[in-house]
Amino acid sequence: MFSQQGLSLEQAPPIFVVLRFFFAGSLFGVMAGIALLFYREEIFDPSSVAAVTFTHILTLGVMLSFMFGALFQMLPVIAGVVLSTPVQKANFVQYPMIVGTLMLLWAFNFDAQSWIYAVAALLLGLSILYASGIMLQALIKLPNHSASSKGMTAALAALSIAVLLALYLVLIRGGYLDGSHYLAAKEAHYSLALFGWIGVLIISISFQVIEMFYVTPPYPPAASRTLAFVILGLLVLFGILAFVYPQLRPLKESLMALLLIVYALITLRRLSQRKRPITDATVWFWRIGMGSLVLSMLMLVARQFVSTEWIVGTSAIFYAAFALSVVFAMFYKIVPFLTWFHLNSQGYFAAPMMHEVIHPKIAKRHLWIHLATLVCLLLSQAFAPLTLVAALLMIFSFGQMSYLILHARRVYIKTQKEGERFDMGA
Amino acid sequence: MKKILLDARDLEHPKPLERAIEILRTLDEESYLYMVHRKNPIPLIELAKSQGFGVRTHESNTNEWHILISKNSQIVLDEYLDV
Repeated sequence: MFSQQGLSLEQAPPIFVVLRFFFAGSLFGVMAGIALLFYREEIFDPSSVAAVTFTHILTLGVMLSFMFGALFQMLPVIAGVVLSTPVQKANFVQYPMIVGTLMLLWAFNFDAQSWIYAVAALLLGLSILYASGIMLQALIKLPNHSASSKGMTAALAALSIAVLLALYLVLIRGGYLDGSHYLAAKEAHYSLALFGWIGVLIISISFQVIEMFYVTPPYPPAASRTLAFVILGLLVLFGILAFVYPQLRPLKESLMALLLIVYALITLRRLSQRKRPITDATVWFWRIGMGSLVLSMLMLVARQFVSTEWIVGTSAIFYAAFALSVVFAMFYKIVPFLTWFHLNSQGYFAAPMMHEVIHPKIAKRHLWIHLATLVCLLLSQAFAPLTLVAALLMIFSFGQMSYLILHARRVYIKTQKEGERFDMGA
Repeated sequence: MKKILLDARDLEHPKPLERAIEILRTLDEESYLYMVHRKNPIPLIELAKSQGFGVRTHESNTNEWHILISKNSQIVLDEYLDV
């Protein structure tokens, strides 16, 4: 997909590798909705089990699944990285990651026995470090780097450090280590995972796809060449300093806010410079994502002056909206395209058109559901019963995505079984 | 030879690929696809080559790609390059 670097779709993994990561991410999204149904407004207390559980369902279950699925697909074709035996590698990553995530969530909520933490840490640590390790190894070997491949390298490095810190935290929670550096490690873990991994990965992918999908001018080279590593460098620097000077946290958060706001504003500007001003739902998902990022970062700065539960909660909700909006935008581009193009490249005459795999109207409907979920979550901080509506919308939102993936799979298999292969006769 | 022009410079991904494949399916021995694009569409080129088409690509000084594809792979497509 999106090949510009001289490599082809043939070097990309089989379509089902991508679809099954997306499917797992969608099911975890349904789980997040169910968790919200049970926890309700408890999730707004950052120190609660509810908040920790809800955050990890979204970050480990939803985001990591979608992002690994996207990376398995995009690394070969965007960055020119060839991953051999992708199915086997996906197996090594996905199954332990799912079991490890479920065990960790169980340990948070029901049974904090040390062995459950240890097994969860082992499964998650090994699978995520293995995935980021093979991807990093291949990326580092690249002779020529694009802004996207550099950014992906920075994001995967951030993920690896975040996971190592998470292992340390889990070992403390499991009673294997004393907790003398718990708070500094927790702070560095959150920052690297949220800004370094999720933030930088989205940034680096956008350097490639915004221009290509929406026919915009490219990002300014000063931003695309440096932003990812500046963010990673600052996070690592402040992460180390935090063990000695924890009072530097406001400075770190303000710098992050500044960089991410600049990025979001450039992206919004680029989206307004499209050569063909036809707007589909995915453009609006990007706009909502970037708008949410700006608002989240403004709240993060405001937190330095007026730290209320509302501001902290609102900042977190907007950051989640940023990440999920971009995931949804990419989902509606990737799934129909992959289904259509894999079948075409195999020569099926009756390969369904992209709109027959997922109709644009469905993406538009999802956009409204997503917006409604965001509004309900924001308002539920003042009017708690709205968490119920937000939870139901979230379940519907991810439930529909799960269905769409199954539908794409069904269409794909049906065409392969019954479809007539065309021979262009050349 | 009949030239079927596809100016994909302002088309959003994946429209260029979609339209080019539609044209390839209807191409006859007396016609060729002339595509102008802002990128080098590797998946399209590989698909065309795998189907036995003749393919010629050229990047112009203005960083635009000219892609010529004919059903008859014996045709010297260089002759039809318009840069």
